Amino acid sequence: MTYAPMKPTKPGYEEPHEQIRKIRITLCSKNVKNLEKVCSDLIQAAKAKAIRVKGPVRIPTKVLRITRKAPCGEGTNTWDIYELRIHKRLIDLYSTPDVVKQVTSITMEPGVQVEVTIVDV
Amino acid sequence: MGKKKFIDKKKSATFQLLARDSSDPNYSDSPGSDRVFVRVDNNPVSFDTVFDEDNNCYNDCQYDNEDSIFADAPNDNGDSGDDYDRVLGSSSRMVVNDKGALPENVRKEILELGFPDDGYNYLIHLREIRNTGGGSAFYHNPKFKPDQLPHDVKAYDASRVQISNSKGNYNEKSIYSVASNTLNARMNKVFDPEVAALLDDSDLSRFGSDIEDLEEDFIVRANTGEEGEGDESGKKLNFVEEFEFIDASVKNADTKSGNQEIANEVRNYQGEEKPRSRRLLDEQFDILELKEYGSDDDDDDCEGYMAEEEEFLADKLKNVLNENDMDDLEHDDVYKAPADLLHGSKSPKSKELTADIMRRCAEYAENYENESEDEKVMVVQESSDESEQFDCESIISTYSTLDNHPGKIEAPGVTRKKKLAETVSGALSAKSQVISLRGKEKLPLDFLPNSRKATAEKVKIAGSIIPEQHKRKQHGQETKEEKKERKLAVKKERSEARKMKKAMKELYRSETQQAQKVAAISGPSAIRLM
Repeated sequence: MTYAPMKPTKPGYEEPHEQIRKIRITLCSKNVKNLEKVCSDLIQAAKAKAIRVKGPVRIPTKVLRITRKAPCGEGTNTWDIYELRIHKRLIDLYSTPDVVKQVTSITMEPGVQVEVTIVDV
Repeated sequence: MGKKKFIDKKKSATFQLLARDSSDPNYSDSPGSDRVFVRVDNNPVSFDTVFDEDNNCYNDCQYDNEDSIFADAPNDNGDSGDDYDRVLGSSSRMVVNDKGALPENVRKEILELGFPDDGYNYLIHLREIRNTGGGSAFYHNPKFKPDQLPHDVKAYDASRVQISNSKGNYNEKSIYSVASNTLNARMNKVFDPEVAALLDDSDLSRFGSDIEDLEEDFIVRANTGEEGEGDESGKKLNFVEEFEFIDASVKNADTKSGNQEIANEVRNYQGEEKPRSRRLLDEQFDILELKEYGSDDDDDDCEGYMAEEEEFLADKLKNVLNENDMDDLEHDDVYKAPADLLHGSKSPKSKELTADIMRRCAEYAENYENESEDEKVMVVQESSDESEQFDCESIISTYSTLDNHPGKIEAPGVTRKKKLAETVSGALSAKSQVISLRGKEKLPLDFLPNSRKATAEKVKIAGSIIPEQHKRKQHGQETKEEKKERKLAVKKERSEARKMKKAMKELYRSETQQAQKVAAISGPSAIRLM
């Protein structure tokens, strides 16, 4: 599917805003529960609008660890480990940008970072 | 395994979903518009119409495609366009379509502003004009009172300068004599009504004139040229204030025709000299001015005039003062007592003076001394009241150790606590209340260290309260409360001891100071007391 390249608007020029593009929504978060909730909401909304959706792809979570010497006690086994888990999900859509805007405007949980990447095709 | 990527990152635009600033006019609490997409990548991909809420780029795009579904409502040029611009704007600046020309809207903007359409984006060098002034905005300072003179400036109303016409002999000093004979009324408010009107006038339309085309030396021309031009007439000759003030107002006014109006007035004041017949005095004045100040500036000649007048006054004052003999008593930075002067100086007049001064000094000293004796008496009375409340410790402390070698009186030690109860009772019963002085040196033996009975007595006399001493329990068998009590008692004792020590120290110090004062007058300086 090829379309004419998008040119900046000129007066009287009707632009094709129905163009279907590949859109990737990347969701990152530290807590899984919120992330999964947002994911499922998005997919539900997208399916309700009858868009082709590729389900949540779960990227392996990254665990960032910091180890330090515990303030109490002596010896080898007195360490504290702190970790931060980053979860990432991908959702791919084939739709027009405005629909995507509507979809993403529905719900949001705190702590979830949303990035939308659109391919210019 | 050749996998076809879903998204080629280099050819795509990435947006992040962020919370919208609540001061944004498009903000509302619904989930639809409390977030906004913000582009975060820098790829050379044009996505001007994607996720565009308002039409892109700059505010005064008049050629909007109103037909586009992304276009603003006709009146909505909201600030979100600005916010969005700052993020998107950079991308539109970097956006170059295939032909290498700028986007159409940018080109149109550039052309509107008058820049040539040569493919260079001049808009990157321009910024929006906001109300920040950029250093050239007018700040209305409410504390600026133009009609009040600054404090370091003196203005005199010389409108009543009496230059007598009949005197025939004009010499160099006639200017000064004229000046001295005038009544100088110091003025605080120097304001010309016309200038006041000009300043208050907020309607600057009078100043704005686009056709005005002044020559380069229009001021000089104004001064030397036409006389008597202008609307005003019949002014007083207020030199100083006007010219000073005009200086100030010249600085304030920043339009050419403003200057010209003021220049008009300047001309007026100068022109008014001419109607009065020019006298020798005027010529002398001009010569003097030129000689001293050497330039034709208006403010200079007036300041020079004022300075000369003040010089003359200063001289006058000096002459008046010369009648006194203060100069004879110049000290030349060497301290001389009147007696020295008396012997040193030769003139009889000054001898008389100094003798007189010495006599008077002696009288004053006598009076002073007489007065102070009375006061001393009163002081003595007060201190005698206090002395009745001395206790033996403080009495002893008033003796200096030169005369008196007291033994150090100690509180009972820790080891004595066990036997304290016995000793207290023993001391109370056995001794009378008088301290007995025994031995060759007549010392209160009971109170010296190493005397058990003495410490008991001393403890009683000093008034320290010894709490009931329980027999100290074995280690580990004390209850918590008892332990606390014991510790508290110890702490109290120690704090009391500290206070006493401090009080003693202060007392000692004050006493030595007093002694030192006395010794400073009477005693030889070789003895140090503190």
